[in-house]
Amino acid sequence: MSSYSRFLRDVAIWLVPSVLLWIGVTPFYNRFLRESAETVVRLTERPAVTHLYPAPKSETRANQEIHYLVITRDDHSAKKGFLYSVRTTDLHFPMVYLWAMFMAVPGVPLTTRLARTGWATLIQVFFHVILLLFWVKFAFATQLGDWSQAHYGSFAQTFWGLGKHLLDLPFKFGLPLILFAAYYYDWLLSGARGGVAVEPPRKAVSR
Amino acid sequence: MAKATATPPADRPTGWRAYRREIQFLVLFVVLLGSGFALIAWQPVNDGVIVPFTAAIAKASASILDLLGQETTMNGTRVYGKNFAVDIENGCNGIEALIIFLSATLSFPASWKARLAGLGIGLVGIQIVNLVRVVALFLTGVYFPSFFDSSHTVVWQTVVILFAVLLWIFWAQRYALPPRQAA
Repeated sequence: MSSYSRFLRDVAIWLVPSVLLWIGVTPFYNRFLRESAETVVRLTERPAVTHLYPAPKSETRANQEIHYLVITRDDHSAKKGFLYSVRTTDLHFPMVYLWAMFMAVPGVPLTTRLARTGWATLIQVFFHVILLLFWVKFAFATQLGDWSQAHYGSFAQTFWGLGKHLLDLPFKFGLPLILFAAYYYDWLLSGARGGVAVEPPRKAVSR
Repeated sequence: MAKATATPPADRPTGWRAYRREIQFLVLFVVLLGSGFALIAWQPVNDGVIVPFTAAIAKASASILDLLGQETTMNGTRVYGKNFAVDIENGCNGIEALIIFLSATLSFPASWKARLAGLGIGLVGIQIVNLVRVVALFLTGVYFPSFFDSSHTVVWQTVVILFAVLLWIFWAQRYALPPRQAA
């Protein structure tokens, strides 16, 4: 079985625990993201007026209070009770294939794979907080009609709008591949070396 | 007690230079990825290329759905059934996965012939999987509407992107130039 075939088989195997883990941590992770992003957004405000809450329960949309957050401002009210809503769960599902791919690389010790998966996950967590910050600022800058026009200039609207677009599509989907290529570049080149991946030299070993 | 130490050869670069190829690949990949998505967000490109391309996907999806007995009608990028309709928007046309694949393929050390072959395989493969996604989502909306949201934003996005990433890894493993040739 070739290195790639083993990798493909192991991705399929690792997808199962990855999906289960992701489903299990999503309610807690969404709460963590909401609270972290609220803190970061409020750090950028004088006075701090933004709040991020779980969406109200809905009869038509199951578990809306888990998967969605709503944005409010103390200085700006809306008839429906919030200004904008974001599906938090959509921000972090690429974690599933990041975990499966990182754990499936053949010929790398389990501890190394686990450590690399941990570091990559940490980078993803920082990225998700920044992404949610851009979602909130994008909503303020472009989605609140006259209020947005009055409080944000065209440069700020373009900055938050394009920033959110770039972070939410290419980098949300591409970051797992960027991290994978960064950690496993030698394995990617191993086909050109006749299937031999080159791991970094080990530190001094006592015999 | 003897100590065995693995020392790098004298000509082996140290520090960040040891990772020059990786850094070169990653920087180019990120630049191409950002540029590609900025380009398709530009209104003239969106209206002149992306919307017609998406309409073609909608037409192909409608044809397949008709073959499956759904009796659809079309309007631009919208496909209407008897009780359900979908509007194929940016994010659902496979362009995102294609740009990720294209950026990674152009950034990776490989011959231009291999890159062109990769781009051809990627374009066809990703669009076939995306077509399956649109048809499957339409049928999910018709028969299992409560699963549509999760299926739309989580399951099928993951399937399409993962397919693109795995296809690219397959290509990279087979067509990468050995490091000396690539340098």
